[in-house]
Amino acid sequence: MDVLKDAANRLLFDMSDEQYKTLYEEFGILTKQMEKIGEIKGLESYAPMTFPFDCSTTYLREDVAEEPLPRDVALKNAGNKQDGQIKLPKVVL
Amino acid sequence: MNYIDLPLQELHEALVAKKVTPLELTEEALKRAHADQNNAFEYLDDEGAIAFAKTLTEPEKDNPLWGIPYFAKDNFSTKGIPTTASSNILVGYVPVFDATVISKLKAAKAVMIGKTTLDELAMGGTGTTGHLGKTFNPYDPKHERMIGGSSCGSAAAVSASIVPFALGSDTGDSVRKPASYAGLIGMKPTWGRISRYGLFPFAPSLDHVGYFSRDVYTSAVLLDVLAGRDPHDSTSSMKEVEHYEADLKKPVKGLKIAVLKMVTDSIKDEEIKKHFYASLEGLKKEGVEVDFVEFGKDLLESLYATYIVISCAEATSNDANLDGIKFGPYKGGKTYQEVMYNARTAGFSELIKRRFVIGSYCLMRENQEELFLRAQRNRAKIVERTNEILKDHDFILALAAPSIAPLFAQASDKLSDEYLIADNHLCLGNFAGLPSITLPLGYKSGMPYGVNFMGRAFEEKKLFQISQAFETLTGLAETSALAPKEAKL
Repeated sequence: MDVLKDAANRLLFDMSDEQYKTLYEEFGILTKQMEKIGEIKGLESYAPMTFPFDCSTTYLREDVAEEPLPRDVALKNAGNKQDGQIKLPKVVL
Repeated sequence: MNYIDLPLQELHEALVAKKVTPLELTEEALKRAHADQNNAFEYLDDEGAIAFAKTLTEPEKDNPLWGIPYFAKDNFSTKGIPTTASSNILVGYVPVFDATVISKLKAAKAVMIGKTTLDELAMGGTGTTGHLGKTFNPYDPKHERMIGGSSCGSAAAVSASIVPFALGSDTGDSVRKPASYAGLIGMKPTWGRISRYGLFPFAPSLDHVGYFSRDVYTSAVLLDVLAGRDPHDSTSSMKEVEHYEADLKKPVKGLKIAVLKMVTDSIKDEEIKKHFYASLEGLKKEGVEVDFVEFGKDLLESLYATYIVISCAEATSNDANLDGIKFGPYKGGKTYQEVMYNARTAGFSELIKRRFVIGSYCLMRENQEELFLRAQRNRAKIVERTNEILKDHDFILALAAPSIAPLFAQASDKLSDEYLIADNHLCLGNFAGLPSITLPLGYKSGMPYGVNFMGRAFEEKKLFQISQAFETLTGLAETSALAPKEAKL
């Protein structure tokens, strides 16, 4: 359980005791199922698959000039802004 | 009966003949959406949709999507329109650009009516975990049964005949499972066929853009518009886009289907199974060869755990930017860690947090070999087996789900120690990146259920060909909760 709490805190959030309990039970099931997968014959000879198939998309794009995002649009989602810049709360003590 | 209820082809003819205008269709879609009782929507863009529809005055004869209203799942970036992925952590976020699929539909002059609900961040299969609560199945006015997820709102919008089609996304079965529960066509093409630029990533090695429609023709026409290389998405394919509806009427004689025997055997509902077998007989009469094949018990039982490990690991990394600084509401804090901690604790629901912890744990150096890498190795083996079957067969066929839409009371998003093969097999299409389509098969107690065909990579044209033959067999084109039909089989 402590490992799970540590993992959650490293992900920068917290959960309730009840939620950790559910998670603990889920881990029991997942670990058991993954152990069983480890018993599948010849599995270690397979390379880990990161994508469904190779897709070669290497290319050089054309050098076309583009308009950057206008400042007012870029600032649209900022909760706090001042003088055309995003204003952040002070977090360095 | 309103024009908006017509099949796309007839609706297009009516638009070209100026019997109805895009503005009238848009107003009707908005009226129906405002009256929606299924909690299907995150945002209705009355102003934008009407303004755009007003510009569409000269019908385009060769553009079947001209003036057609549609909805997009709320995990596609839409310029100037709030986009939350049904998560509190993105409340108030307004994208500054359009996803490629949104741009393409805009260029085709389809009219986006608004954004639909989803399971939070598209992680979930019940349609219950979005920040607006449960989305209901239009076929069940008592609101006791789910519509499935994660593309719950898009499925509900098409099923309730509010629009003729809607965009969704599919990482495990998030379009194709709800399609089964909602009596719809749910299509996910080959990985790389449609650009994912602007789709909020969940697990990029598995994520696909997909969509719902009420007939196979619409599904094929949509791929004509949505497919293609996009320089903004390095994983999008350079392969040439085909004319996907070209073979819809081509006879299916000689095509070969592999039915996953263990998936069918594991289903307990005899009525649905009997109906499925009847559909196989119908296909045989058309000259289709049908074989029952073994996939391998170990591999089928390993699908869900493999999916959970890979998808959660990718998700926890992808969503690290939802931190209350780059994205998400500010919830205070003295240090930047505290700012993130407070934002993420308040912003994510329980399920998302559990999934993130699972993903992070699987990625820890000490666990990586036995969890993450083992799952990735097993994925390779699963994909090898899938492609082996498809060497001798054009398609893999199975019931899309083991039952009609489950009751909410029976739904759970917790990991189960039961091997629910018939509930999880659709992720084969995501592991292997293969095109996969769900089609309605029939009804039980007034609730729909469907089948799923999966084809070889980039053979969407052939997939639509068999789908059209199947649709003709069942007679279930253009069904909706407003006008359910009797299955012919």
